[in-house]
Amino acid sequence: MDARTAPPEGTASYFLIESKGNWAGPDAGAFLLDGVALAEAGHRVRVFLIEDGVFSAVGTGTPEVERLAAAGAEILVDDFSAAQRALDGTTLSPHVRLVGMDAAAAALTEEDCRGVWH
Amino acid sequence: MAGGMERRLWDLLLILTAAPHSGDVVTSALRLSQAVLDKGGSVRVWACGYATMMTQDTFGDTKLPNTRDPEGHYPSPSAIVRRMIADGRGRFAWIACTACTEERGATHHIPQVRHRSPLRLATTVVGARQTLYLGGA
Repeated sequence: MDARTAPPEGTASYFLIESKGNWAGPDAGAFLLDGVALAEAGHRVRVFLIEDGVFSAVGTGTPEVERLAAAGAEILVDDFSAAQRALDGTTLSPHVRLVGMDAAAAALTEEDCRGVWH
Repeated sequence: MAGGMERRLWDLLLILTAAPHSGDVVTSALRLSQAVLDKGGSVRVWACGYATMMTQDTFGDTKLPNTRDPEGHYPSPSAIVRRMIADGRGRFAWIACTACTEERGATHHIPQVRHRSPLRLATTVVGARQTLYLGGA
């Protein structure tokens, strides 16, 4: 495996995977807001939008994505899920970045990275 | 005093409880598993609920023919799992929850699948550096 990287002392590293669309009920938005709270508390937060979760990255109208970006979280979008839903880079928020599943694999195998799937 | 036996730690455990027909979750689980394997890591999948249906030996090697692509090859889920276990050479394993298996009468798993009681779920979680819980009950 690649060398594992530990987060700075006193903070944790979170890899939050959102698979639900933002219409799926209040839980979807609440999960992203959990990421906001963690980022504002000083932790490293990466949010990975996958499956219907990629719709949260469309345009600039998702307040949770805006707040995540403002809090310093990194927002990643699964390229396969976006392509399956006919989304491309031009339709997505400027705060997000398209990545492959290898990015998720790398993050989840880092030392002390806390992964959560919603 | 004799030393304890060193326990193997898996890089990733996926507890897959979502039904295969409920969405993209099985595709995501397999893609993530393959990505970790491609990095040289190790993955275990614990299949619960209707996910236990995926590895039935009655599926054969292929899905039903796709009439829009009759020459296409579409492997069955059990064939995909069998291939990943073989290609993983000990770095990929698939566990079927025995309670969920029995409840659904899905007792004809391919021989590569390991059967485990839900009483061993906690032990299995302890045996992984990272655990993700995919899907609802």
